[in-house]
Amino acid sequence: MGVLDKLRLDGKVAIVTGAGRGLGRAMAVALAEAGVKIVATARTESQIEETAGLVRDKGRRCLVMQCDVTDSESVNAMVDASLGEFGRIDILVNNAGGATDGFGNSLEAITDEQWRVGIATNLTGAMYCSRAVIPHMLERGSGKIINVTSGFGLRAGRNNFIYTSAKAGLINFTRSLTMTYAPAIQANLIAPGLFPHGDPAMEEWWKHGMFVPMGRLGRDEELGPLCVFLASDLTSYMNGQVVVLDGGGLAGGELPTGFAPQVPLPEPKGSGK
Amino acid sequence: MVAEQFSLAGKAALVIGASNPLGRAAAVALAEAGADVGVATTTRSQREEVAANSCANEIWALDRKGFAQAIDAADERDVDSLVERAVSEFGRLDILVNAQDLHFAQPALEISLAEWRRVINANLTGVFLACRAAGREMLKRESGRVVNISSVLAERGMANGSAYCAAQAGVLNLTRALALEWARTGVTVNAVGAGWIDAGGFLADENMKRQLELSAVQAAG
Repeated sequence: MGVLDKLRLDGKVAIVTGAGRGLGRAMAVALAEAGVKIVATARTESQIEETAGLVRDKGRRCLVMQCDVTDSESVNAMVDASLGEFGRIDILVNNAGGATDGFGNSLEAITDEQWRVGIATNLTGAMYCSRAVIPHMLERGSGKIINVTSGFGLRAGRNNFIYTSAKAGLINFTRSLTMTYAPAIQANLIAPGLFPHGDPAMEEWWKHGMFVPMGRLGRDEELGPLCVFLASDLTSYMNGQVVVLDGGGLAGGELPTGFAPQVPLPEPKGSGK
Repeated sequence: MVAEQFSLAGKAALVIGASNPLGRAAAVALAEAGADVGVATTTRSQREEVAANSCANEIWALDRKGFAQAIDAADERDVDSLVERAVSEFGRLDILVNAQDLHFAQPALEISLAEWRRVINANLTGVFLACRAAGREMLKRESGRVVNISSVLAERGMANGSAYCAAQAGVLNLTRALALEWARTGVTVNAVGAGWIDAGGFLADENMKRQLELSAVQAAG
């Protein structure tokens, strides 16, 4: 069997959380192209219906499940329904997450509720989904988990407490999965850089990526193939790794590249300038 | 289609260190994905030359163009002429895989300067020379992919591995620096950190088996 044939994932079943838009949609569609049947979940049903349409255009079945990953009953019901529909789950993509209320708040301005929701959305949800799916994967003796972290899981941000804590936690949660469930299950992470999902306001906000070493922002279609690769047997010896997809952003840390024009940050308050 | 995005049909690749099992696996996988592949040795030795030739045979068997060349990967003339040959035989160079790999383990106090230099030259300087030679071609065409096969020992130490670990760490940060330097040229530079791969039959080795028993996944890839 050749290298390219191993990218065919016919007959497999994947749950993709946060599949209603952006990276989740891109990964669901790419997996469908590779032959995977998709359980598309998100909180907003109209958006997952659109994703399901794209999956079905690829000739694959798609189960649309409204699911709030921060609610374990909702997660358990979604996993039960997936098994009822398809009889198996080979791939779990924990993609749901993102900025929540209070993102960017100074520490003293973060409410208990904002912290709780942010951690639940970006960390606990992945735990709930993994906890619900793993017994089934162990029973079948195999499974692939792909968790979506962020560049902010690997470095900090000023007044970015909730999101960076959750995304960093997700990385070590994933590593502990690998220590516990190898070799049956492999769990890896994708750390996307800046992906505006075609939203002009986000493109503008991120200055079209001029400060990214490659000089541009990420495109959704650049993420889908990586997800397929991580879901395939081609990565059967890769476990607990973070694959960074950020146009070179983390290669230099905060060192100037000489190529990337620096975007000046506003002076910190109280710096005396 | 996703599989088409992974196809390398019409591309030309060069793999240095195809005489070691990781390089050979990379070369054959590239050919399976559709690329023409030239392969070269890390050092000039009959054993490596035989291995490189056998790798080229495997590439031909996949109906791809290919060649094998014995080089000293730490010699700049050898490396430059290797890249020239790839460009003249294939008409282009899209992919460079650096799999130079000279294993070396010895207590630090016993390493002579000549041995240190040999390990650094083969494992690190050779990668730089190949990147530089291939980079000239790739930057001209504003397109290229460089894959440096480093080691998990780039980020972790190993007793008696000072020279090897230092060289592999060098490869990893050379990769990052070139990735930034060429970030806007269409040439990407990445590294693969290889772990314990049972490619040379080392599972027969009792010491290696004990090492693996301590790792999380109790089987070599």
